[in-house]
Amino acid sequence: MSNNALIQTVDLKKTYVTEALETPALRGVSVELHKGEFTAVAGPSGSGKSTLLHLLGGLDRPTDGDILLEGQAMSQLSKDQLAKLRLTNIGFVFQAYNLIPVLTVLENTAFVLELQGVAKAERISRAQKVLAELGIAEYADQYPNRISGGQQQRVAVARAVVAEPSIVLADEPTANLDTAMSMDLIDLMKRLNSDQDATFFFATHDSRLLDRVKRLITLVDGKVADDVIR
Amino acid sequence: MKAAIRHLKRNRRRTILTLLAVLIPVYFLVFMFGFTNAVISDMFETATRIDTGHLQVRHVEKRGMGSALPLMQNADEAVAVLDEVDGIEWRTVRLDLPALASAEDRSQTVYVQGVVPEEVAPISNIGNLVVEGSYLRTGSSGAVIGEELAELLNVGVDDEFVVLGAHPETGVGVLRLQVIGIYEAPLAEMGRTVVHVTLETARQLARSPQAATAVVARVSGVTGARDLSEIDDVMSQLEGRFGSELEVLDWRDLAPQVSGYLAVLTPALTIIAVIFFGLGALVVLNTLYLSVMERTRELGLVISLGASRWHVIRMILVEASLIAVAGAIYGALIGVVLIWIVEAFGGIPMPASVGDFMRVVGMKPALHMMIQWPQVILSAVAMTIVAIVAAWFPAYRASKLEPVEAMKYVE
Repeated sequence: MSNNALIQTVDLKKTYVTEALETPALRGVSVELHKGEFTAVAGPSGSGKSTLLHLLGGLDRPTDGDILLEGQAMSQLSKDQLAKLRLTNIGFVFQAYNLIPVLTVLENTAFVLELQGVAKAERISRAQKVLAELGIAEYADQYPNRISGGQQQRVAVARAVVAEPSIVLADEPTANLDTAMSMDLIDLMKRLNSDQDATFFFATHDSRLLDRVKRLITLVDGKVADDVIR
Repeated sequence: MKAAIRHLKRNRRRTILTLLAVLIPVYFLVFMFGFTNAVISDMFETATRIDTGHLQVRHVEKRGMGSALPLMQNADEAVAVLDEVDGIEWRTVRLDLPALASAEDRSQTVYVQGVVPEEVAPISNIGNLVVEGSYLRTGSSGAVIGEELAELLNVGVDDEFVVLGAHPETGVGVLRLQVIGIYEAPLAEMGRTVVHVTLETARQLARSPQAATAVVARVSGVTGARDLSEIDDVMSQLEGRFGSELEVLDWRDLAPQVSGYLAVLTPALTIIAVIFFGLGALVVLNTLYLSVMERTRELGLVISLGASRWHVIRMILVEASLIAVAGAIYGALIGVVLIWIVEAFGGIPMPASVGDFMRVVGMKPALHMMIQWPQVILSAVAMTIVAIVAAWFPAYRASKLEPVEAMKYVE
């Protein structure tokens, strides 16, 4: 492992077993992600993009191989330790159903800070600051169902970065957005990457996003077919 | 907490259903306890005020007495002992004699009960039940009888009837008594068989100027049939104070039918309460489980973001606790208010046939209710705890959700 790797996967394999059927999703993926990268993993449907993202985020466990996050082997962690690692080190942006419907935009943004035990005044202040930076402060008191899909994804990004995690993992973040909204969201994440050195890792096949990343990893049949730094 | 309240508001139908699952058992139990409290209290008061007292000093049983109680000639000494004991609120000497009451060609076996009118007046409500004529006064030589006996003998106020006393210890005595009052007996059996006279009159019938069958006493501070500590305390003070000829009996020995009802009622109520708590718990468990199922994706998201298992459990339990506490409070309030309303209208009147039966078993012929706050609080608290315990299973299941699978969940 190189000294400055934020995340390193070591011969990562994942096979889904359903009844008598075994479906290999990852067949030995070894990649390194570094701080400040703006990376996407692309590939056709079923190539293992989402699986890789889930494993990197500690949402699922590999069948074989390991993931080192800042040197810490995730295979050694218990379920509760993985939850804590997600809470403190990883920000998530999902494709859909990203926000908690009974919480306002401000409360959704501050939710991770609340889980971390940050005092109320501080978490509100930090959440308000991030919302302002992302240009959605005016929606702070709205519930998710009162704002557009693009605004909801902005809130999801705000929640993902508010606790300043080591990396933000985003699974098809633009899949449900129209072109304008997608470009807007991509610009936003790009700005966070360049201004705040936030590390992003996307699983996507959206060409609008793929055109903007600095590094593109291509998966085919669960293996790295290409890894290009632009 | 805020999120939990919003969740409850968002799923109003489910929240109301869960609330009712807690509310109905609490309301029902408060109402049921209110009814049974009044029944027990009614029976206890009827038995202990009019008939048995809380305790009696009697001569020990003798052979060959039939239905007669053995006579005691040393009642004054027993009274003196009772006066020395802490906790005796009231006592009086009584003489009960088996007799035959006759008027013209009609007759009825009765008990002639000799009392000291001024001593029984403070605690006996017979005087208030007199519907014709008047109650006994000191020096009265007549009798007060129940409506049932008056009808059986076909006598009214100022009519005379004969009583033939036949106590095994004193032999046969005969008195002609004038009816000075007729009362509505709380117990039909009592109205048919008890002839109330003064102690002096009864002693004339027994032909024994010092005779008594019991010193009847009430203990201070007794709040009901379940409150036995004060009586037990006095009983223990009286132990060994009367020698071998006299014995002390408490109301449980003297009114076994009342203590029998109590013995059956308590486990029966407990079983009913357990059934209601169980049904309530099942509904709470079911609705919360469905709620967890509906929110699988949301819970998956929360877990994905790093919430601990305990945080997820707490989320569900906070919601369950809010519903449980609200349901228990509303249930208790509705139960209490309904009882107040029932009592404000003088109870629920019973049809004549049911009323007669209730009188036979020593109850007022109307459905009355009585609130006992510890029972109200206990019902509410117990159901709250049961509901929260029932919420553990769905909460536990929620905490065990796998985030990736949960977020793929389609409703």
